[in-house]
Amino acid sequence: MSVTAGKMLARDWRGGELGVLLLALILAVGVVSGISAFATRLQNALTQESHRFLAADLVVRSGREIPPDWLQRAGEQGVASAVTLVFPSMLYANDDSMQLVSVKAVSDGYPLRGALTFSEEPFGAVLPAQGGPGRGQVWLESRLFALLDVAIGDKVAIGEAEFTVAAAARTEPDQAATFGGYGPRVLMHYADIPATGVVQPGSRVEYRQLYAAPPDILESFRQWLQPQLEDGQRLLDVNEGQPGIGNALQRAERFLLLAGSLGVVLAGVAIALAARRFSERHNDYVAIMKSLGATSARVNRLYGGSLLMLGAVATAIGCLLGWGIQAVFFSLFGDQLPVQPGPSGIRPYAIGAATSLTCLLCFAWPPLRRLALASPLRVLRRDTPLENRRTLGDYALGLLAISLLMWGYSRDWQLTLAVLAGLAVTVALGLVLALTLLRGGRLVGMRAGSIWRLALAGLQRRGTSNAMQVVIFAMAIMLLLVLVLVRTSLIDDWQTQLPEGTPNHFMINIGPGDVQPVDQMLRAQDIKSEPLYPMIRGRIMAVRGEALPASDDREEGRRQRESNFTWSDTLPEGNRLFAGQWWAPGTDEALVSVEREFAERLGIEVGDTVGFLVGSEPLEARVANLRELDWQSMRPNFFLIFPPRLLADYPATFMTSFYLAPQDKGFLNRFIRQFPTVTVIEMDVVVEQIRTIVQQVSAAIELVLAVILAAGSLVLVAGVQASVDARMHESAILRALGARRSLVLGGLFIEFAALGLFAGLLATVAAELSVYMLQEWVMDMRYTLSPRIWPLGIGAGMLLIGGLGVFSCRRVVSSPPVALLREL
Amino acid sequence: MAGTELEILKGITLEIKSGESVAIVGASGSGKSTLLGLLAGLDEASAGTVVIGDTNLGELDEDGRALFRGRHVGFVFQSFQLLPALTALENVMLPLELQGHARAREQADNFLQRVGLGPRTGHYPRQLSGGEQQRVAIARAFASHPSILFADEPTGNLDTRTGATIIDLLFELNREEGTTLVLVTHDAQLADRCQRRICLEAGQLVVE
Repeated sequence: MSVTAGKMLARDWRGGELGVLLLALILAVGVVSGISAFATRLQNALTQESHRFLAADLVVRSGREIPPDWLQRAGEQGVASAVTLVFPSMLYANDDSMQLVSVKAVSDGYPLRGALTFSEEPFGAVLPAQGGPGRGQVWLESRLFALLDVAIGDKVAIGEAEFTVAAAARTEPDQAATFGGYGPRVLMHYADIPATGVVQPGSRVEYRQLYAAPPDILESFRQWLQPQLEDGQRLLDVNEGQPGIGNALQRAERFLLLAGSLGVVLAGVAIALAARRFSERHNDYVAIMKSLGATSARVNRLYGGSLLMLGAVATAIGCLLGWGIQAVFFSLFGDQLPVQPGPSGIRPYAIGAATSLTCLLCFAWPPLRRLALASPLRVLRRDTPLENRRTLGDYALGLLAISLLMWGYSRDWQLTLAVLAGLAVTVALGLVLALTLLRGGRLVGMRAGSIWRLALAGLQRRGTSNAMQVVIFAMAIMLLLVLVLVRTSLIDDWQTQLPEGTPNHFMINIGPGDVQPVDQMLRAQDIKSEPLYPMIRGRIMAVRGEALPASDDREEGRRQRESNFTWSDTLPEGNRLFAGQWWAPGTDEALVSVEREFAERLGIEVGDTVGFLVGSEPLEARVANLRELDWQSMRPNFFLIFPPRLLADYPATFMTSFYLAPQDKGFLNRFIRQFPTVTVIEMDVVVEQIRTIVQQVSAAIELVLAVILAAGSLVLVAGVQASVDARMHESAILRALGARRSLVLGGLFIEFAALGLFAGLLATVAAELSVYMLQEWVMDMRYTLSPRIWPLGIGAGMLLIGGLGVFSCRRVVSSPPVALLREL
Repeated sequence: MAGTELEILKGITLEIKSGESVAIVGASGSGKSTLLGLLAGLDEASAGTVVIGDTNLGELDEDGRALFRGRHVGFVFQSFQLLPALTALENVMLPLELQGHARAREQADNFLQRVGLGPRTGHYPRQLSGGEQQRVAIARAFASHPSILFADEPTGNLDTRTGATIIDLLFELNREEGTTLVLVTHDAQLADRCQRRICLEAGQLVVE
């Protein structure tokens, strides 16, 4: 038959509301599939990144030798493996010079994930290496060349074995994890260990077995491995804390999920509005079809079929759009990622299709389903009551669908709850406020000029439907404000975190006697540095008189911990007091300031007595306050800070961090020659990497914001359109009665702008609440009130909705009133 | 007047014979359209029965009545009631297709020829004049060979001359098809052309 759903769709395109419906669906699918494809690929990259920081997928670590037959077993199961051994030793050169170093012996195949880098001269150009040093060779950390006065090709000795210096060691993927702190790094081959004769039972060493395999093979190997582990053997996997970049990317990912969820909500609302208008306009058609013999089932099939077809088209275009969105993301900053993001697979597009189906079923179908109930009597009497009033059930279904979509999409109930709370406040406040204000409007309007009277009378007359409209506008504006606010604070946060000149080198092990000269040398070179902090190695032993367990097997939770202590009379820059008071300068009291998360892990609260061991001496202090600090600030950060007098008698070394521009790297060679005992840790590559990624992620976020803004505008358009028919009709009558253009348009503008004003006001209040919850719970950020957005939300609400309203009704002044009245 | 029931039609007993043409006349608000709605099965009576042929419409639900309308009833309305999304031909095909008629296109085309719209079958309602739209509606009403045709003020939206040609067309087709015709009208001339005239006043039949 030719009167098919498709035919009807094609012809109904002219009506306009189908356009909004289709666009909203496309946007929903596009946003959802695009962002989840992006997030999947990003997650993929992050996982690879964390594997890189282990140099493997799975690691066993132990202070004693790990059974070599495990490696054989791994090989049999198809798991790649390698071994490393880290130990302190003396490195001898030129007969008389020597230096305490941290030796890392690596087997062939190391690293299994990530890459070693080296350079052909100290502090020279960084090159990727295919593997570690060969037999009989060592790679030395750059500063060792100056310390020992050796060059590439010279001989050095470790224990009884002699080695040729083959390269300068630059970075290891698992550097952070195995950073020993004994001294500069020396890399050698694992097979040369026996020849050195330095590793004896009881030496302070760390053995590692590294494994890598595809996930399913690795999992079955892990199943076998887990029961083999003995005391002192620890299994490490990717969940071992993620370093700097991970954090920024994870926040970005959360933001994107939030944006995606909001996009779905906005699109859902737009779909519901468009479907409702579509159904209102189709009541008469259905009545005709029914008078000609169409049954309800027939009508349902027709409209259901149309909807499915629309859904299919929208899903296809939406998936394309989604693919485009993520492709733009990755072309923007894919190159900057430390690893190549893997493919996203089809799952994101399946999610997109599921979203489309859910939106159709829960938002578009309810109003259309009721079309079948339209009375055929409408062909005789147009005033026959309509059956398509929204019921409580429809709203409940919509709310359920919104919550499920948001949760299913973000997998984060806190995020879902925060947005739903904002929406709930909007709706509740909205209905009360709107009804009250609209009622009040009449009193004012009575005394106002005729243009105002016209507008306010219009507001008053359609009180209930206007209140609904205010709520819908407010929802859209609120969601957009939430997104703008979160994005702004996110980007501000990143930019203040790593501004130009962020410290990119750490300096530790500065002896008390070197503090002055080091400081002078930095100043002489005009190098921007943080203050020099004293550092004392100590151990936390007891809380509230209760001894903590000593076991080293537990990384997390309550146990004794080695930590670096410092002292200060003032709260260091970048630290925030969370609870308690900072002490008076020069205090004699035994006090301590504890980092908040550290305190939480150990169950420490303000006022508790905590026992420490510094060297071999016990020390007790009362917790004066808890601090929060930012671990990514590249400043020296400490878990524990004491008043200076308390630690004055203990031996301390000092540390600082400073910024060194790339062209000034040569300074390090001179510096190390002058202060051979000071350890310099180079972070410049990492800092630069983080900075670039943050910039690119910011760009990606702006892009998403633009897409969501489009979804929000669609809601506004759909919302305005929904009320255009009734307003057009009235305006046409006014025109017929001789009202001037300016009166009709002015009245419409004031009417819509008033709706926008109320909506903007509500939206701003609800957005602040929602952002508060999001930042505190989800984004791990501090909330501050944003007075900037108040005028924005309210002003934009007024102008946008006023303008849109007038634009949508513009035909009322350009077409003859008779034509309009006949049409409507 | 909440709670007070408004009786629109009362005590109407009326029999229309097959092939007969009947005009229902009366002032505005006298209940003409309501009666037409009931007779055509567009509405349900709160009391009383409507029987067409051997079918008691009161015993059918809305879907049953829809199927009945599709098979046995044709309509011509004052405001034409064409679907704006469909062409003239598709509008005429609609009732045929709803019944699963095998040669809907041919038959629809045939009827459009008969009402003199042969060259305009591909036009949409908005491209047709009022008179032409009503011709499409008449073609649609007769295309499914209904046994009874209901017309609600078929000339109400047309000028006198166009109205006259439409009436001619309506009666001509009616005669050719042997359809029972029930029409509601203000137009005395139109009413005169029917075999019988029924006058309604405040919901009651007035014998003439």
